[in-house]
Amino acid sequence: MITLLRDLRRLRRQLRLPRPDRGRSLAVRHVDAGSCNGCEHELTLAASPYHDLARYGLGIVASPRHADVLLVTGAVTTRMREPLLTAYAAMPEPRRVAALGDCALGLVLLGTPYNLVGAVDSVLPVDVQIPGCPPGPDRIAAALLRLIDGPPG
Amino acid sequence: MTVEATGTADPVESGPGAYRAEVRRLLGTGWRFAGLYASAGGTVVRTLLTAADGSTRLIGVAAGTAPVPSIVDLVPAAGWDEREAVDLYGVAFAGHEPMRPLVDHGPLERWTVPVDGHDAYQIAVGPIHAGVIESGHFRFHVVGDRILHLDARLFYKHRGLEKAAEGQPVQRGMAYAVRACAGCAVANAVAYAHACEQALGLVPEPELARVRTVLLELERVWNHLNDIAAVCAGVGLAAGNTRFAGLTERARRLNAAVGGHRFLFGTVRVGGSDLSAGTGQVAAARTELAALHREAAASWRELRFNISLQDRLPGVGIVTAPDALRLGATGPAARAAGLAQDVRTCSPRLAYRGFAPVAADPAGGDVKARFEQRAVELWQSFALLDALLDRPLHPATAGPAGVPEPIGIARVESPRGATTCAVELDGGRLARLHLRTGSYANWPVVAYAAAGNLLPDFPLINKSFELCYACTDR
Repeated sequence: MITLLRDLRRLRRQLRLPRPDRGRSLAVRHVDAGSCNGCEHELTLAASPYHDLARYGLGIVASPRHADVLLVTGAVTTRMREPLLTAYAAMPEPRRVAALGDCALGLVLLGTPYNLVGAVDSVLPVDVQIPGCPPGPDRIAAALLRLIDGPPG
Repeated sequence: MTVEATGTADPVESGPGAYRAEVRRLLGTGWRFAGLYASAGGTVVRTLLTAADGSTRLIGVAAGTAPVPSIVDLVPAAGWDEREAVDLYGVAFAGHEPMRPLVDHGPLERWTVPVDGHDAYQIAVGPIHAGVIESGHFRFHVVGDRILHLDARLFYKHRGLEKAAEGQPVQRGMAYAVRACAGCAVANAVAYAHACEQALGLVPEPELARVRTVLLELERVWNHLNDIAAVCAGVGLAAGNTRFAGLTERARRLNAAVGGHRFLFGTVRVGGSDLSAGTGQVAAARTELAALHREAAASWRELRFNISLQDRLPGVGIVTAPDALRLGATGPAARAAGLAQDVRTCSPRLAYRGFAPVAADPAGGDVKARFEQRAVELWQSFALLDALLDRPLHPATAGPAGVPEPIGIARVESPRGATTCAVELDGGRLARLHLRTGSYANWPVVAYAAAGNLLPDFPLINKSFELCYACTDR
C-alpha cells in the first residue's frame, strides 16, 4: 500500500500537471441516455492521474440534487427519455446541460426511429457541446472548464 | 425443421418436433449452446451450438405459424435469447413459462419474480446510477442486507441496432457492430468481419489474422486493466483504482499510437485491413507493453498484500462450475469458475496457434477468482502481444478460399467472453445481423451470483464481472 501510494506520487511528479488557477468548482452529474460506453470509459479516465479533473474543482456527484451540470452521453433512447427528464427536473437552478460525444450531438444516430428519440437537444436545452467519438479525457475536461471560466450559455 | 451445419451447402430437413430432439441430442454429446435468434420477420428461429473443437451447428425451426418448442428446460442459458425473440420478433414459444419481457418494459409484476415472506422487501436501483455507469435497472429482493433474488431489467439503451442494420451493405454494417459497444468494439468488429467473410467465402491470409489478433489483445489489455481498477473502486481502495486507471490510460494511448483510435474504432473492415505499423512503431509498442507489464505486475503485488482489499474478495458472489456451465457463463467469469473454455483455442481465422487458456488458482468462482483471472490473463496477453509484434504490421486481405454461404457465423473471445455474430446476407446486403456478446451471456450469471450475498457486496460482485450494458442492449 505504501509503495503503491509512493508510486502514485512519483507518477504525479513525472506528469507535472499544471496547477489550476481557479477558485471555483463544478459538480457534474452524468447520465447515460444510450451511449456505446465509450464516453463513459473516457469520462472515467478524466479522473485518472493523467488528467485529474479534481484539481480544477470538477467532480462527479452521485445525485442530480448535488449537480450544477447534467452531462449526457448517447443519442437519447425511447426508454431513457423519461429517466433523463426526471434527473433534469431534480437539479437545482442554476443548472446547465452538456452533451458529451457525437451521438449526444446527433452526429451519429444509429438505430431505429422507434427506439431513438434523437440528439440530447431534442429533449433538453444544451449549453455545452463536446464533440468526439468519443472525446478524450482532456477534451472533456477543457469543455467543462468553459462552464466555470466563461459566461454561462 | 432444418439442420444447417455451417460448412455444408444443403440444409438437412427433418420432421416437426425434431428441433428439440436434435438440440437435446447434441447437448448430450458435449455440444454447448451458443445463442438463439429469430430470422428477419420472425419466420425461423435458429439455435447455434458449438463443439469443443470450435465447429458450429445451426438448427432452424419454422416460427411463423406454430409456437416454437422452448429449449430453456434443456439449456437455461437460452432464457434471455427466447425472451428477446418474443419481444423483438413476435415469436411464440411453447413451454417457456412464465414468459417475462426482456427488451420490452412492461408493468413491474410482469418482469419480476414474485418474492414474498417475512420482512422481504424490494430495493429499486437505476436506470441512472450514482457514478459514471451505464444505464440499467436492478430490482433487489432483500431481507435486511441479504439479497434473496435479483431481477435485472436492462435494455434501457436498446437502440435497435440489429434492426437498423437490416438492408445495409455489408461494409456499412460494420458501424452497427462497432458502435454496439466501445469496450468490446474490436471483438464485435472482428466477429462481424469473420461472419461476413464466411458468408462471402473469404478466408483471412496469415498477416490479416495477425493484425486482428494484435487488435483483439490490445483491447483485452486495456479492458482487464480497467476491470482491476473497477474492483479496487468497488471496495473503496482509491490507491489501487487510481494506479490501474493510470495504466488503462496508457493502454488506450497505445491503442491510438498503433491503431489511430483510443478504442481502435475503424481498424477492422470486412475483407481486409489497411493498418500498417513500421519497424519503429512496432518496437515502440513492444517497449510500452513491456513497461505496462512491469508496472502492472508491481502494482498487482501490492494489491495481493493489501489486507483490506483481499479480505473483501473470497467467498463472495460464488458461481460454481456446474452453475457456470448451466447458466452459460463465458470468458473470465467461466474460467474463474473452473471451466477451461476459451474461443481462442479454436480460432483458425486468427493467430492463436498453440494457445491454452489459463485460470486463477484456485478457480473458486468467487470475486477473488474473477479478480485474479484478469491478472493471469493480462500476463498472457502481454506475452502474446510481445510475440505478435516482432515484425511490422502490413495491410492484408482475406482471399476467396471457401464456399459462399447464406448464413455466416463467427465466434470471437472478447474481454468478457465468447461473442457470437450471425449474419444472413441477401445479395451483398444484410438480411439479418445478430450479435450475442460475452456480456449478454453473463448478465443472468451476475443476477444468480448476487443471490444470498449482502447488498453492500453487490457493487463488488458486479464489478468482478464488469459487463457492458451497451452491447447487451444493442
